[in-house]
This record gives sequence, C-alpha cells and structure tokens, in this order.
Amino acid sequence: MTAGRRAPGRVAVHLLLWGYAVVALLPLVVMVLNSLRPTSEILTAPLGLPASPTLRSYAWAWTEASFGTYFLNSLIVTCGAVLLGTAVSALAAYPLARYDFFGSRVLGAYFLAGLMLPIRLGLVPIFYLMDSMGLIDSLLGLTLLYAASGVPFCVFVLSAFYRSLPGELDEAARLDGAGEFRIFGQIMLPLVRPAMASVTLFQFVPLWHEFLYPLVLLRSDEKFTIPRGLSQFFGEYTTDWSALFAGLVLATAPLFVLFVLATKQIIAGLTAGMSK
Amino acid sequence: MPRWRVLAVFLLPALLLYSVFIVYPLVTALDYSFFEWRGIRQAGFAGLGNYRDLFSVYPYDQQLWQAFAHNALFFAGTMLIQNTAGLLFALLLFRYGRGKRFLQAAFTTPYLVDPLVVGYLWSLLLNPTFGPVNALLEAAGLDSWALPWLGDTRTALPVVIGVNAWQWVGFPMLLFSAALAGIPAEYHEAARVDGASAWQAFRRVTLPLLTPAIGVVSVLTFIGNFNAFGLVYAMAGSTGSPAHSTDVLGLLFYRVAFQEGGVEAIGRSSALAVLMFVFIFGVSLLATSYFRRRERMLV
Amino acid sequence: MKRRWIAGAIGVLAVALAACAPGQGNTAQVGASDQGGEAQGGKAGGDKVTLSLWSWRVEDVKAYEKILATFEKSHPKIHVEFKPFQATEYPNILATGLSGAAGPDVAQLKSYGGLQPLVEAGQLVPLDGKVEALSGFDAKLLEGAKGHKDGKIYGVPFAYQTLQVLYNKKLFGDNGIQPPATWDDMIAAAGKLKEAGITPFAVAAGPDATWTLPIVHEIFGNARYGSTRFRDALLRGEKKFTDPDFTTSIKLIKDLEPYFPKDVVAVKIPDVQALFASGKAAMYPTGSFDLAPMLAANPSLDLGVFQVPPPPGSPVTTPVTPGWADGSFGVNAKSAHQAEALELVRWMATPEFGQLYAGELKQLSAVPGVTPSDPLLAEMAKNYAANGAPYTLLVDFRYGQPNGDAVFRDEVQKMLAGQTDPKAVAESVQKGVGQWFKPGN
Repeated sequence: MTAGRRAPGRVAVHLLLWGYAVVALLPLVVMVLNSLRPTSEILTAPLGLPASPTLRSYAWAWTEASFGTYFLNSLIVTCGAVLLGTAVSALAAYPLARYDFFGSRVLGAYFLAGLMLPIRLGLVPIFYLMDSMGLIDSLLGLTLLYAASGVPFCVFVLSAFYRSLPGELDEAARLDGAGEFRIFGQIMLPLVRPAMASVTLFQFVPLWHEFLYPLVLLRSDEKFTIPRGLSQFFGEYTTDWSALFAGLVLATAPLFVLFVLATKQIIAGLTAGMSK
Repeated sequence: MPRWRVLAVFLLPALLLYSVFIVYPLVTALDYSFFEWRGIRQAGFAGLGNYRDLFSVYPYDQQLWQAFAHNALFFAGTMLIQNTAGLLFALLLFRYGRGKRFLQAAFTTPYLVDPLVVGYLWSLLLNPTFGPVNALLEAAGLDSWALPWLGDTRTALPVVIGVNAWQWVGFPMLLFSAALAGIPAEYHEAARVDGASAWQAFRRVTLPLLTPAIGVVSVLTFIGNFNAFGLVYAMAGSTGSPAHSTDVLGLLFYRVAFQEGGVEAIGRSSALAVLMFVFIFGVSLLATSYFRRRERMLV
Repeated sequence: MKRRWIAGAIGVLAVALAACAPGQGNTAQVGASDQGGEAQGGKAGGDKVTLSLWSWRVEDVKAYEKILATFEKSHPKIHVEFKPFQATEYPNILATGLSGAAGPDVAQLKSYGGLQPLVEAGQLVPLDGKVEALSGFDAKLLEGAKGHKDGKIYGVPFAYQTLQVLYNKKLFGDNGIQPPATWDDMIAAAGKLKEAGITPFAVAAGPDATWTLPIVHEIFGNARYGSTRFRDALLRGEKKFTDPDFTTSIKLIKDLEPYFPKDVVAVKIPDVQALFASGKAAMYPTGSFDLAPMLAANPSLDLGVFQVPPPPGSPVTTPVTPGWADGSFGVNAKSAHQAEALELVRWMATPEFGQLYAGELKQLSAVPGVTPSDPLLAEMAKNYAANGAPYTLLVDFRYGQPNGDAVFRDEVQKMLAGQTDPKAVAESVQKGVGQWFKPGN
C-alpha cells in the first residue's frame, strides 16, 4: 500500500521538476535559435526553427563588435570585483556574526544600508568621486566601485551563514588554543563555502550585465566592457535582429560556462556540508 | 571576545572599500535632496521643499502612492510564488537522485540572462498576435484565456511578477538547498525514528531550522522588489504600461531623475530616493531583528 | 578600549570623506579634453588637436565618420573623434561628462526643455556673435537651441523633424484609394482598408510607444485644436488646454482607434514598423525620422506622403505639418580647445555640412538653403515651409516638471485602455503644466 501511494507521488515529482526545467530553458532556446536565423526570417516569424542554420551573425558580431577586447575587459573587471568584494566581506561578516562586541549591531546595520539604495541614485556623486581620484576611463575605478557595491549583499548573506554554525565548533578550537585567524581560516571558512559559491554567483551575474557605469565612466573603445560595447553595437545595428541575438548569446555564453563551474563548487560544498 | 586589533583586521578592508565607494557618494546624494537644482548646478538650500513637491505636485502625488501599492503587491506575489516554489524545489531536489545537478542548473539559468533581455523575450512569447503562449491556449480550446497579457491593466502586473519569479526562482532554491545541507543529518533521522510523517517532520524539524535562510530570503526579496527596475522597464516601459498599471517606485525614480529631464530633476529624484531608502531600511531592520529573535528562540 | 575603537571608526570615515571630497577647483583646472586630446595629439605629432564630439546617434557612426573626414581635409590641424552614447542615458552622461575630465569638446544637444538644464548649469559656450552664419537660420528652429530665460544661442541646429502620414502606394492602388482630400475621405479609405483585412493606421500605444502618442495627436489633431493660433493664445495665457477645441482634438484619437491595430495598448513600435514595412498596414502617421529606417527595412516599399486634411469643425481649415528642431551642436564651456571647437561648429553651420548631413543620413538639415535629394523628404520640407506649425507640447511645455508631453502621453494611453476620457486628459495636462508654466512671454 505504501508503495502504491508512493509511486504516483514520485511520478508527479518527476513530472513537476522536468516540466518546469522545460519552462525554464525554452525561452533561452528561442534566443539561441533566433541567432541562427537570418533577420528576414525573424521579421516574418519571430519564433520558429531555423530553416537553414547559419553562424554568419556570430562571425560578424565577433569582428564588428570587437568582442575579444570587451570580453577580456569584462572578465578583468568582474572577476577582480567579485574576488575583492567577497574576500573583504568574508572577513568582515565573521566577527559581525559571531561576536556581540560594542557597535556590532550598528555596524551590521551600516553594511545593510548599502543594499537599500538604487545604484542609479549615486550616479552624479560617483562621477565626481571618480573624477577627483583620476579614475575616469579606468578599469581600476570600475573594479573598485563594483567590488564595493557587492559588499553589503555578501556581508548580509555570509553573516547569516556564520551565525547558523553551531557555537561548540569554535569554542572547542579556542580551548585547544587556536587563534582567531586560525579558527576563521581552518574552521569557519570551509564551512561557509556553499554560501560563498552562491554569493559569488549572485554578485557576478548583475555585474557582468551592468551597463550604466561603464557608459558614464569609460571613454575609450579599448576599455569597454561587454555591456558597454553591446549598447554601441545594438544602437548601430538596430534592425539586424539576427546579429542582436548572436550578440546576446555571445554576451551570455561566458556566464553559462562560469555557472557550470560554479555549480560544481556549490554541489561540492553542499555535499561537504552534509557529511559533517 | 577577540581583541580590537584583531577585529580591525577583519573589519577594516570591507569598511574602507564600502565607505569610500558606496556610502560617501550615497550620503552626498541624500544631501542633494535638500537643495534646489538648476541642471547639475546646486542653487539654494531648499529645506524639505523637494519632499513637499513629491506629495503635492500633480501627477507625482498620485503616482507615488500607486507605485508604492504596486511594489507591495510585487513583494507579496513574489513571496507567494517565487519563494514558495524555491523552497519546494529545494526540498524535492534535496534527496533527488540522478539529474539533480542538471535540474538545479536549469532552474537557475534564467537568472544568468540580463533582465532587459528576459523582459524582451517574454514580451515576444506573450505577444497577442503571434506569441506562442496564446497560440497554445487557443489550440487547447481556451480561447477566452488568450488575453493581450501585457496590454491589459488587470493582467499586466501579475504577468510581470510571474516572469520575475521565473527569472529568480533559482536564488531562493540555492539558498534553501545550502541551508538544508547545513542541517545535521541526526535531526532528520531523529524525526524519522519518531515515526513522524513527512509533513510533520518538515513542519516541526526542517522549517524551524530553515528560519535563518527564510529570513535572508525574505529580506533580500523585500529589498529587491522595492528597488525593482530592469525587468519592469523592459516589459512595461518607463511609464509602467498600460496606464500605469505596472508602475513601481523604481520607474517613477527613473522618470523623475532621468527621463523627464527638468532643471529640478536632481533634487526631486534624490528626495524620492531618500524616502524609498528610509522605508526599505526601516522595514528591513525590523524584519532582520524579528528573524534574529526567532533564531535565538530555537537555540 | 571602546573609545579607541570609536576613534578608529571615525578616523576611517574621515579619511574616506577627505579622500573623495569633490574637488570643485580640481575639476575646473583639468580641461575637459586634456587627457584624450594630449595623448592623441602627441601620437599624431606636430600640434594637431583632437576634438571629442559626443552624440546620442549610435546608429550614425559610419555617416559621421564620412562627414567629419571632409572637415578634416579642409582643417588639417584638427582631428575629430566621434563618440556616440546610448540615447536613453545620453542626457545624464552629457551633464556629468561636461563637468569632468575627458569630456566632449563639442556635443550634440537636445532642443528646447532638453537643453535647459545644461544652460542653467552654465556648461555651454554662448554662440551669439561667434558663429555668424546663425543669423541666416530659420527663427523657429533657432528657438530650440536657445536658453529659455537668457535668449542666447547655445548650439548650431543640425536637423528638424516634420510630422505627417506615410502611406503604401501599392496598397492604396490595389484598393482604389487616393491620398485623402478631406477628413471624411480619409475615414472612408480607412474603412475600406479595414474591410480588406489591412490595418489602416500603423499606430502603437504599448510600453515602448507612449512617446509616439503626442505625435499621433499632432498629426491628426493640430488643425483641430487651432494650430499656431491656439499655441500663441496658450503662451499668452488667453487659452488653456481645457479649451473645447483641444479636448475635441484628443477625442479624434479615440474615434480613430477602430482603425489602429487590435489591442493597441499592447502593440509595440517594432510591431507596427513590421506591419507597415511588410505591407500589412497602409498608413503610418509618424515623423520624417522614420522614412530612412522604413526604406532600410524594405527598400522595395513604394511610399507616398500626405498631410492629414483638417477634421470638420476645425478652426484651421488648411492641412498642417507640425515640426520641431531636433537638436544642435554646442561647445563645452570647459573645453581646452575652444578655438578649434568653435571652428567645428562654424563648419556645421555651412551648406557643405548641411548637404553632407542630409545626404548621408536622409534627414532634414536645418542649414538654410539645403534641399534634400530624396523626393519624399523634399515634399515634407516643402509642406513644412508652407504649412509648418510647432508641436507645442514638445516645443513649449518641456521646461518644467511634470512636462506637458509626459502627462499627455500617459493620459492618452489611459484613454485608449478605456480608463479615462478626452475631457479628463485635457484637464490633467492643464493641471500638470499649470504648476510651473507662467504665461506671458
């Protein structure tokens, strides 16, 4: 009887999960398919299978939009920002979550505050700040800004995870005579790895797409990031739908690759967390 | 308790980076709200004049409340659809066998695409004349369901909430998965030995242990929804089409600050941002301390 | 112990704030184009100056490169770098760029209310007496490049736009329709087309299209509300938007709705452009700016153009072609190369530039004496010269918040969604602009 009750239930679970996977992926498949169709075909039927798939748009987007350079710049800026932002946040979140020192609450709120403001609000002051530091048209300026913008989110999420770790862990280590840095590096950090992987991913993606600050802060072609280059490319070829889709696929593809690598990390972190 | 010098090593790098590049410019922007502006030139001190304008100048006085209400609906809808689905997926996948990793990745992929592109793609899919969604509905004999989704004041906001959930559901799913993985296996086993049903085990053991994750997800959803911009802009334009039925505070801010381009834009838009900040920050603090108290009760 | 920590925290903040206090003096010293200019100039050798020219026309890069090459031939000591930015974000990029390092020397400027914030912040060089050719420009077009309060000219106008109906000659011929001579002819033609399964008017009112609604209103309703005479009365404070003529002109849009695409509030601009370019819609009420893109989308399209005949009861009984100054080119007040920058804008006021501009971009040049080579553009230019009238919501009512255009477009979309009526639309516009508009100029 139990088996009889369970089997349909399990089928329903499979159906639900795999059915939703189709819903989640289908629109993206449309994007890829359209990049393989000529514009005339897209105009007459915006959705459909490519009659004779062609990679012409990709070749064209790659050369016309000098994607190679943009790609490298995006990689430098985004990776630099995410690494720096996550590193400083992982440090800062630890004492904030594990100790109730004077001002810890206020400091927590201070970090939290950065989450609540639309990034667009800072446009004018950030421009003047960068200008006064000589960081206009500089990838370093953009990297620092992006790194800082990830701090509130990272501190918030990582604090929650540090807090969820049982208190006996570090007490035991402390009794063994371990210093704060050793407790942090050898006990705490490995345990929050799954959260670190998630946090990295969720910082990386919006920064990869961010286009407003590159527009305002960057000037020379050879420093453009992908979104800045794409906005140029899109404006120039507004009617060439095929090329636009190809550009979008090219801009998103690196994220898929990184994501596949990141999930590996997340899963590894998850299983490690479970065995403990 | 570590020594102050040790604390400083932990805290200072983040504090410095964040204070210089985020807090300082944003505090400056808040300061802007108390001045009169002539383009990018600061004119005289305005006191609370810009704030008064937001509540008294037509049509901002009406759009402000309308947009606020839509943000509240956006939040409620997202909690209900996106976060519930995220939790459900995390639970179903927790002990799922082969294909688990693929499914997790599939549910999260929409998040990898730029919200502006997501909005554009779904506008195509939902297009009333050639979109496949309506074609499918009609093929299934549900003609009366084939609505001009984004062109109807009644359906536009729910559709935007749904697409937003589609894009973001991987976020709560991953956080809940990580939290589930962090629950020691003994707890689950203890519940099973007690002979509790799956639902009882979930209610009595799993759910309370998920409180910190639920807190994080709720607060981040709240903040994200009250700052919503990209997707709504892509699906409903800067005015929250049709007829402001999808207008949210982020769009109102964009219009006042950037689009309508009056000489007084900087002052008024900064005032609006301050109001949004005070509200979002206040509620988030209350919510965080509430969840913190719930956590303590568990221990 | 505690006190030391607080002191430390305050110290951090103080350092942070000091490090980034806005160096007003600093910024002023750094000439706008010093960085780019010197670096580039150095490479080229000699004392060649590089000017940075900013624009929101990303799609025009190739054309401008050609146009500017002609300038560089006659001005060998100047090199011009064309830098386009995304149009939607351009006003902010320009406002900040004009006040910082590596900004533009010459910039494309929006007209009327869009220019005013830059003028009031003192970011542009007044061109009065510096560009002689401006005295020959059409006074109506120069309005768009003037400061609203000081009346000084801040840019050399480059183009103007006119509003009219484009129509598909083949579809008209197939259905036995002539360009309408009266309003009733036009309605009859629309009815006939609709029966034949063709969308009569390619009009969009979807998320990306609200800004086109005031344009549609101008095309069909300008004569009905009284055109220039009504505008002058508005500016003198003798009439208001709540005037019955203006209300009736709004009602025309509602009356025409059956001839727009189905669910017009869900229809986007690319949808109607595809309808018209593919011959599924017969008439496209739009600006001269859409001619080139339409022909690019379908080069075999056989197009004609007509002015909408005045509807019955109009105070103005001849057809009208509404229009406005598109924008101008001005000089950054902080440019380190003002002499060269002035040289460039002076050249932009010559027929040589005008002719190149009109030819390369298929737009209506603002330079006097330049005639478009495209016959349809020539017809639009002729109509504007004979029956031109200002698109008043854009020309006169964008100087304050909320701007008249913005209130109008939102309310008209509401009307098409069945949530308000023409009278309430007119009242909203009056209420909105009445808060800042002071009649009497």
